[in-house]
Order: sequence, then C-alpha cells, then structure tokens
Amino acid sequence: MEKFIREETEDTPEIIFDPESGIFKISKISVPENALDFYRPVLDWIKQYAEEPNVQTQFDFDLEYVNTASSKQVIQVILLLQKVAEKGDVRVRWFYESIDEDMKALGARYKKLVSVPFELIEIDE
Amino acid sequence: MAQESGQNLFEIAYPLFQRIHDNDFEYVYRGFFDHSITKKILFLADTNIAKVTNQSQATLQKRIYYIMVEGLQNITHHQEEIANDKDFDKFPGIFAIQKNGGRYYISTGNIVANDKIESLKSKLDVINSLTPDELKKFHREILSNGNISDKGGAGLGLIEMSRKSGNKLLYSFEKLDEEFTYFYLQTLIPTDASYGTPDGNSHHPSLESVKALHRQMNTDNILLYFNGFFNQENLLSLLAIIKSRMNSMPLTTIKISNVMVEMLQNIIKHGHKSDATGGAGISGVFFLGQMGNETILTSGNIIQDAAKDVITERLEFVNGMTKDELSDYYDDILLDFDTADAKKTGLGFSDLRIKSDRPLKYKFLPVGDNEQFYLLQTSVKTKK
Repeated sequence: MEKFIREETEDTPEIIFDPESGIFKISKISVPENALDFYRPVLDWIKQYAEEPNVQTQFDFDLEYVNTASSKQVIQVILLLQKVAEKGDVRVRWFYESIDEDMKALGARYKKLVSVPFELIEIDE
Repeated sequence: MAQESGQNLFEIAYPLFQRIHDNDFEYVYRGFFDHSITKKILFLADTNIAKVTNQSQATLQKRIYYIMVEGLQNITHHQEEIANDKDFDKFPGIFAIQKNGGRYYISTGNIVANDKIESLKSKLDVINSLTPDELKKFHREILSNGNISDKGGAGLGLIEMSRKSGNKLLYSFEKLDEEFTYFYLQTLIPTDASYGTPDGNSHHPSLESVKALHRQMNTDNILLYFNGFFNQENLLSLLAIIKSRMNSMPLTTIKISNVMVEMLQNIIKHGHKSDATGGAGISGVFFLGQMGNETILTSGNIIQDAAKDVITERLEFVNGMTKDELSDYYDDILLDFDTADAKKTGLGFSDLRIKSDRPLKYKFLPVGDNEQFYLLQTSVKTKK
C-alpha cells in the first residue's frame, strides 16, 4: 500500500503512515479551522489499510495542541484502528509532555472510550 | 476587586470595538520586549497590513514594517539602558499599531530615566525642525561621523522613522516617579499624501488615545489587546506571541493557548460576517489579561439576534454541570457522529468549561438592527 505523508503546517499535524517501514505517526499541532476536510483523506487511508493491515501496527500520537474540532476526528482515527485490530495486532501509544495535563487528559479519555490497547506515555521535556 | 476588574472589560470592550471600522484595526502589546516577542509582533502586524494593502502599496507596507522595527528596537534599547528588570515589571511598556482609514499609526511607550528626557527631547526637536532635505543631510553627517556604535544613540533610528514616514514625530512624556518617566513616541504613515501630516503638537488626539489605552491596560493588567478582524492566520500569530510572552510558565501557556484557540475559532466560525472586511475575517475584540493568579481571556463580537438564545442555552448547560457530568457529556459528543461538526454540538463550550477554572461568563448587548454584541470570558489559573 502507498505511503501517506503530510508535512506539518502551522495548524495541521505531521502525518507519516508507512506500512513498509512500520511507522504510523501523527504529531505536532492540530488546530485547523476545518478539521473535517483535513482528516477525510487520513480516515480514508486507514479504512483502506484496515482491509489488509500489517501483522503488527504500532500507532503513535505525539501531539502538542489539539482543538476540539480535531479531537472529534482523532477519535475516529482511533475507532478505525479498532477495525485494523480485527485483522492484525494493534497497539496505540499516546505521548504527552509531563507538564501537559490537558494532553494527558485527552489521551486518558480516548483510552477509556476505545477497546484497542492504548498506552499513555509521559515524556520529559 | 479582581472580580470587578474582569467585569470592567465587559464595559470597555464595546466602546473600543465600536471605534474600529471596516478594514481598520488596532493591536496593542503591553509588557516586556525581547527579540523573540519583537519578531512575533512584527509578523502579526505585517500579515494584517498585507491583508488590507494591495500590490501597488508594497512600498507603503515596507515602510510601515521598517518603522515598526525601529520603534521596537527603540524600546529594547531603552530597556537595556535601565539595568533593573524590576522597573519594567513595575512600569510595562507598550507597542501599538493602528489603522484608521488612510492613516497608520505606530506608537511606542516605555520608561526612560528622568535624566534622559532633556537629551531625548532635544534630539526629537532637532529632527522635527528639519526639512526632508536637511534630514537627509543630517542623516549622512551622523553616519560619516562614525558615531553609530552606541546603539543609535545619535538618534539614527528616530531620523529614519521621520524620513520613512515623511512626517514629524509626535512625542510625549508622562512622569511616573522621581526616577522614571513614560516616553511615548508616535509615527503617522499616511497611505497617500491626502491624509495629511500632524503638526508636531505633542497633544495630538491619536497620541492621547494611545496614552489613554495604555493607562486602561495598566489598570486592568491587560497584556494583549486585539481589535480588528479574526481569522486563522491571526490566531496562529497570537498563539506565537503568547508562547513567547509566557515561556517562563509552560503549563499555563498550554492551557491559555488551548482556551484561546477554542474561543477565537468559535468567533471565526459563528461570528456575524460583515461585508465590510472583504472576507478578511470576523470583526471582534480580544483581551488577554492577568488578575492575581488568573489569566483572563475576553472576547467580543457581533452575532445575529437569533443566535443569542442558542448560545445562552449552551453556556447555561455547560455552566450548570459538575466537572464529572461535563466529562461524561464530552465523551458522548465525541462518539456522536451524526453531528459530525464539533462546532454544532457544543464541544467547544464544554472544552472551555473543562479547561477554565470557573463558570464561563458572558453578556449580550443589543446593538442596532437584529444584532447583539456577544462577550465571553474565561479564566485559567496561573501555574508555574
């Protein structure tokens, strides 16, 4: 399957989905005005990936800022990973900076809402 | 007292909003100035000027930029002269850019030692007494004297500001105590010659209005005042300013940034679009201030009458819930994909209420034809 790459912009995250090297990562900032449009191709890609995923998928979130419009899209990403988990092994890692209690709280919220293995990982600045 | 002060912003917001028309704006930063802040202020100002100037005004835009740089460097230069940072915390300076029709005003206000006033004043008076040709000659003389090593101590920056603007420099001194005086400097840059020049009188109304604004911001401890159009670009510039301004308090910065994004995107999405701004954004005001151990964020913008009830209902709804109830509600909306648009579900308000340390304050002022001025205030506790 083709890689999916988006470079970070001032208000949208860096995205690397590369099944060949096994890197799946959404990072940096996600505060676009129109989160729906930004995440549509992202969700489409994962949907397709869920058809024939790698044996193991480690999916990383390492986000600094997430607006509410994006938070609603991110949960969709994670729910799609549950679909991926029907055919392969999926582990989600949610990184947050030790001082960032909001990002920790958001990760904890997602963890509670989904069934896929979901690990919160604190990183020191 | 703190409570009253937040309330005070609700009183002053609309008169301030009202004085800015169509494509005009005023942005004021108050506080400490360093290289990083300066860069971000320049970026914010420049993007906004670019929005309202056209290609043929590229020279104008460059001139304004240049004068802003000189003005900001002037502030940092004065700051360096006064060794004790505590004096700046006590008497914070300001930088203001205002656009009023065909006129741009760049204003600075900062403390100087009382014994510097005379030499500063005489430099300014000399510059203001010269014709453009004489100014050019004067500029060259100073350059050839090789006297520029003392950080423009010869007044090179001031000369350049006057030359680039084609105008006299307005200035004013406000004595603070036995040691310090606020030094205000204002440059008028007309978009074309028909917009005239000030006469050099130090009680010019535009300079007086900046001084009044500075007093107001000192009283209410406002760090940032933004009055103009809101769009995603401005939001990102403001975020960068806050990040620099508060880098000593990373946790608070994150909270404030999150709250600000929700507040301003709410305005951008729902504010009443006026044709006057030509699609540049939604007109509104925004203040970031501090009261005791809280950071107070206040926004004001025009909405249609019809939106008032919906907003009230949602605000009362989130204010009426405990944090646990709100958290459960938040989970529900996250998983409710029938209403895919987060903005329609009240997710933004819920998020604001969760992150803010007290109920969301709001107020509506009826302002003419089917419109309301909608004020919203949130608060974030300062943590180090």
